[in-house]
Amino acid sequence: MAAYLLCLSAGGGVPLFTRTKGDLKPLPFPVIGSLNGVHMFASTHDVSLLSTTTVDAKVVWKVFHDSITLILVSRDDNASDSHLQQLIEKVFLSMVLVYGLDDLTNIKNIERFKKEIKVCFKLVDSLLDQADLDTFSDLTDSVDVVLGPENSILQEYLDAFVEAAASPYGCLLVWGKVAVATRKWWSLSSVELVLLSLLVNSLPKCSARDIPIFLPHGSPKVPHRLLTFQLVQGVEVCVVCGPTPSLAELQREVDRFWRTAFEYLKSSTRIHPRNFPTSILTDQSILGFILINRESHRCLCTVEPMEEDSSRQGKTMSIYRRREILRAFYKSVVRTIFTPPQSDMDSTETADTLHTRLKHKALETYIVSETHKCFAMNTNPYELYVLYSIHIPTYALRSTTTKLLSSLIKEKTMQV
Amino acid sequence: MDILVKPGSHVQWDWYKSHEGREVIMSIMHRNLHQRKVFGLLERPSFPPHLAPEEYRFKIFVCGKSGVGKTSTISKLSGNEVPSIHSETPGIQTTEVYWPVKILHEDKVVMFQLQFWDAGENALKKFDHVLPACKDQADAVMFVFSFVDKSGFEDLPQQMSRVIEPQDNICRFIMGTKYDLHAHSEITQRDIRDFEQQWRTPVLRIKNITDYRQTELRGDLNEVAPILNTICEHLWHREQILQGRYSIPVEV
Repeated sequence: MAAYLLCLSAGGGVPLFTRTKGDLKPLPFPVIGSLNGVHMFASTHDVSLLSTTTVDAKVVWKVFHDSITLILVSRDDNASDSHLQQLIEKVFLSMVLVYGLDDLTNIKNIERFKKEIKVCFKLVDSLLDQADLDTFSDLTDSVDVVLGPENSILQEYLDAFVEAAASPYGCLLVWGKVAVATRKWWSLSSVELVLLSLLVNSLPKCSARDIPIFLPHGSPKVPHRLLTFQLVQGVEVCVVCGPTPSLAELQREVDRFWRTAFEYLKSSTRIHPRNFPTSILTDQSILGFILINRESHRCLCTVEPMEEDSSRQGKTMSIYRRREILRAFYKSVVRTIFTPPQSDMDSTETADTLHTRLKHKALETYIVSETHKCFAMNTNPYELYVLYSIHIPTYALRSTTTKLLSSLIKEKTMQV
Repeated sequence: MDILVKPGSHVQWDWYKSHEGREVIMSIMHRNLHQRKVFGLLERPSFPPHLAPEEYRFKIFVCGKSGVGKTSTISKLSGNEVPSIHSETPGIQTTEVYWPVKILHEDKVVMFQLQFWDAGENALKKFDHVLPACKDQADAVMFVFSFVDKSGFEDLPQQMSRVIEPQDNICRFIMGTKYDLHAHSEITQRDIRDFEQQWRTPVLRIKNITDYRQTELRGDLNEVAPILNTICEHLWHREQILQGRYSIPVEV
């Protein structure tokens, strides 16, 4: 997805920063001025301009706390506007996460702000990355998880470790996806869960971090500290805590608490890129899927459900293309055919979408194209979006999807 | 602490190219020998038993102006990918770098575990706990300047006095980034030499080029080896002084 993100001061229309995704020329200043001008013109006439569509692009505007205007220009994918509005909302919340709400709503010195706000670039860029990410959490508003057989053992290690950190908030990320987390961590809002995982993944690789964060819903004005430790390659443990313990203090405890878990940690990394255990069998024609639990705010996604032998490589669909199709399919279904998920973000729902006109709730939908087939199923609280190869007979889509869903959710020890 | 030792006073400079050196270096490289391994906190380089070197840990606080290239420098030294786009580092990031050296006088191999502490300049100003955390028990401070910013170079003495107290017994290094743009630099070799002599502090140089493809082991290592050797040599010298083996720094 090629996109421009513009951030301007709401009062004076001073450009604060721009981010671009894809091979795009920077927008000329007059264009930025006009994009902001048309929005300001509307608001002086008591009209709020939400979005517009050009021949091939879509533009959305949003003002936050009368302080910052965000403008997002993206290729038009014929999906509901609400996906872009959700994205722009998440961009703002990620600025809150690393910079704090007070400093965002009360910009005293614009030049200084421009320098300091660079701190959120890595996270904001990853929100614009879309199909370049190997996670789907930015889209589904639920955090990517892995179902490892070691998870129940690792849970005990994690619980013990967070106690040493005197904090109830902890989680273990395996290749950027949550393997286990403490009860309190799961009580964070879905956006916080998503953004925290994305933040850790977006930063340069290192051994440990101590990052001040402002939880967008829990504590947007008072900073907490996010401590992360890379235990083995691919596995990071994260703790959210207050002023103590210091990074060095907690790092000294790492060896004591995790040394005996070494083999479990090592084997947990092997779940990647499948993300669920090989004991759960899947149909050969499945190229990838997104399974979402709307109650727990978790999603299990994969685009490599089975190891491809090298002879087939190149003949099957590329990994990137699979992600792209799954993302496009999700966007075409959610908020048009399926009822929108109960999200904790206040998004302005556009009135004329299909699901509002339907007298009943759609529970299943599918598409058949020349290269692939997709099937979606909505069984509260689960939603499952599956990408199939072209070889599966269309009549088998429904039964295969049902079978996949039941085999993924029947495991009691590992739950999405 | 003023330490300026001549390269090769303690450390055998090209040891990593020797037969014995290569054997030890293998432990920190991937099997393809193109890239260095990343070690999690629970992981250690593994050696054949007859080689197992002594390990020494040192904490190095890296400081310098915003955007000067602190994070890139550490990425380069640790063998990680150098970030392609600049962004401000939020809070503190620490990175462990393993580097084996051969100590000349004692004829032994020592594995240095260098822990680099990197903090975003704005995080240092905005949050009170960041600077004390970085300075706490640090063995060395690396001051980073950019070869394309002369005023930053001239500001180094003030910066050093702000961060280090004379009684701190801390080793100092200066790191000049963007050395690939040296042609555009107003800082001459002479400036660097004078600075080294006046402040008795080694000045290192690094090119943190992003789209640089490492085709073989030598390519990456030849660039970082002299830097890591210099750092290790000075830390070793400081260790000797602290243990009372030297009373005065070795003259250059």
